[in-house]
Amino acid sequence: MLETINLSKNFKGKKAVDEVDIYLDEGESVGLLGPNGAGKSTTISIISSLLKPSSGDVKLDGKSIIKNPAEIRKILGVVPQEIALYEELTAYENLKFFGEIYKVKKNILEERIRDVLEIVGLKERQKDLVKTFSGGMKRRVNIAAALLHHPKILILDEPTVGIDPQSRNHILETVRKLNEEQETTILYTSHYMEEVEQLCNRVYIMDHGKVIASGSKSELLSILSSEDTIQVQLSETSDQLIEKIKSFDHVRQVDETDEGIRIISKKGSNILSGLVLAAEKEGIQVTHYQMETPSLEDVFLHLTGKTLRD
Amino acid sequence: MGSFLKKDLLVFWRDRKEILLSLLLPIVIILLLNFAFSGLFDEGAESMDIDVAIVQQDNESIGLEQFEVRVNELDFPPAEKEALLTQATQISPVRLINEFFNDPEMKEWVSAQELGKEKATGLVEEGELDALITIPVGFTESVLSSILLGEETEKNLTINVKEESNEAGALQDMVTNYVNTLNFQFALGTAAEAPAPEPELPEGGREVVEGAQVYTMTQYFTVAIAALFCLFIASTVAMKTVTEKREHVFNRIILTNSKPFNYLMGKIISTFFMAWIQLLITFTVTQLLLDVFSGMSFDFWLGTFVVITAFSIAVSGLTAIFTPITLRLSDPNAANGIFTLIVMGMGMLGGSFFPIDFLPDWVQRIGEWTPNGLTQGTLLEWIQYGSFVDLILPIILLMGFFIACLIIGMFLFPRRERI
Ligand SMILES: Nc1ncnc2c1ncn2[C@@H]1O[C@H](COP(=O)(O)OP(=O)(O)O)[C@@H](O)[C@H]1O
Ligand SMILES: [Mg+2]
Repeated sequence: MLETINLSKNFKGKKAVDEVDIYLDEGESVGLLGPNGAGKSTTISIISSLLKPSSGDVKLDGKSIIKNPAEIRKILGVVPQEIALYEELTAYENLKFFGEIYKVKKNILEERIRDVLEIVGLKERQKDLVKTFSGGMKRRVNIAAALLHHPKILILDEPTVGIDPQSRNHILETVRKLNEEQETTILYTSHYMEEVEQLCNRVYIMDHGKVIASGSKSELLSILSSEDTIQVQLSETSDQLIEKIKSFDHVRQVDETDEGIRIISKKGSNILSGLVLAAEKEGIQVTHYQMETPSLEDVFLHLTGKTLRD
Repeated sequence: MGSFLKKDLLVFWRDRKEILLSLLLPIVIILLLNFAFSGLFDEGAESMDIDVAIVQQDNESIGLEQFEVRVNELDFPPAEKEALLTQATQISPVRLINEFFNDPEMKEWVSAQELGKEKATGLVEEGELDALITIPVGFTESVLSSILLGEETEKNLTINVKEESNEAGALQDMVTNYVNTLNFQFALGTAAEAPAPEPELPEGGREVVEGAQVYTMTQYFTVAIAALFCLFIASTVAMKTVTEKREHVFNRIILTNSKPFNYLMGKIISTFFMAWIQLLITFTVTQLLLDVFSGMSFDFWLGTFVVITAFSIAVSGLTAIFTPITLRLSDPNAANGIFTLIVMGMGMLGGSFFPIDFLPDWVQRIGEWTPNGLTQGTLLEWIQYGSFVDLILPIILLMGFFIACLIIGMFLFPRRERI
């Protein structure tokens, strides 16, 4: 229902978004993963009609929204990366104001406010000034304010940055519920890969303004399909043993670690029996053996040579 | 629009300290100015206290005798001569002068004492006395001849002062007035036209202090300060927009498809209310504390109220321009700087800081077109003449200023991309 076509944005000659093509189907929950400065917020600002692209287009049901943003604004809820609330007003007053200017009908506005406060779990604190709230609570009100007009599409820009684990879990649970129970289409931006792994059916990975990979989680992991990483704990290590393992078929790399060695081998090759045998000959015991499950983090590492948190 | 207004007022209400400060500051400043200036610019003759010396050089009985000699020389019937001489003893010009200064009403303003010439001149020189009035030798005879015989006056009262001052001018006016009245009265009786005794100043000729004070110093700066501080409200409200931008609520507002006009109207109307309340409070409180507009009629207050209201609307127009500027500029300090410059410039040109009579004509002309200058000028005229017709044009101009600002503001309002 929503897609970007060759979307680019330059800031003073610097490409913040570079030919990005992403799409959202109805009811999907899509993640936009990337380190700080990757261009996630800029992409979102363009999609939500706050910023004009340098080139490219954003289409809603096939119609461009660049010239006529009113349509998308009606069905879009945006949770900005920053807290976009009046600190001097209470949670309730904020929601009431935004509800009114979203033109939610008077007779249902009170109910909507009650609902969204319920969803984010802040009913008891609604009469308190936002400036007295913790970071996590502010983020929750920030989400609530985007839900008042029952948007079909909800875009969240790093909604869990810098908050306590409890608030974070609450927010993740809220997003999951909105997607599963209310069939809200979600575009979830984060640089925490666990969140995206947990919430999203589909993920775009961005870096330096470009989408460098996309697909379902398993599709992305299959990028790493050619290798297995095995962590082995040993009672002791010896150079002879390492040399011996290196000479095995399918083994590509062996490194010494704190507790033993790490072996990278061709996918699906069983080297356990050969390893145990070789160790016994050297009088060494294998105390622990584990195949590592690769994560999106590893995918990112593989693609960019750096970690997400850098 | 209602939602925006409610929100803006609520945000201001939460920041009561700032509001209270902006409401009370002009009052405090007016009180301070009043305190500082009360010694310097005493208002009109009200609290005037003139010290004069009367130097009596004329001998009344000799004067009468000389007059008698003169009458006897004339070719009149004896009965008529007799009547003239009786009248002459009754007139006694010196006594009239003394009575004038000893009149209880006169004594509130002037304290007169009879002194010798040397001593009096010395005291005037030292500044102990404001003026010295000399009744010259031959005064009695001269006045009597003038009044009763219709001859030229030869000897006049002279007034000597060391420096020209309000006091000296006022004294001169009083004496001239008095003598004129006397002459007029006697002229009616004698059908003779006698010129008034011409008072003379030692140097610089006759510099009369402006007649009735047109408006008082306190009235001037009450109006000027009130108008100036009112302008700052436009800047205060517009600067609140910085918070909205910094806190990104403005983006959220855009996403609701709200019309810029509604957003702007919230700012404009809240500015209007604050400006209006500030002016009403300033005028009311200074009136209660200082009796600035003493003894003014209900009509005066009504007209003032109307002008204040029109001015508040004009100030709210300023917000319509300031707000989009705040939204467009990335640096809030730059925005604040621009607003301060504009407000101060308007204050300067409009004569809110000091009267601008000394500036070139064209500058004054521009000043009259600033809303504060226009309001100030209108109110000060209103104090003097109180003609409702004179209020119509300024009110139309103030409304025109508002509408022009609103149009410019809508034009400047950022659509997208600049946020
Ligand atoms: N308004 C702007 N002006 C100039 N550069 C910007 C602006 N907004 C973002 N950028 C730059 O564009 C790049 C992408 O930023 P952003 O979209 O905020 O990344 P992310 O949200 O992924 O952290 C960054 O290098 C950032 O410095
Ligand atoms: Mg961002």
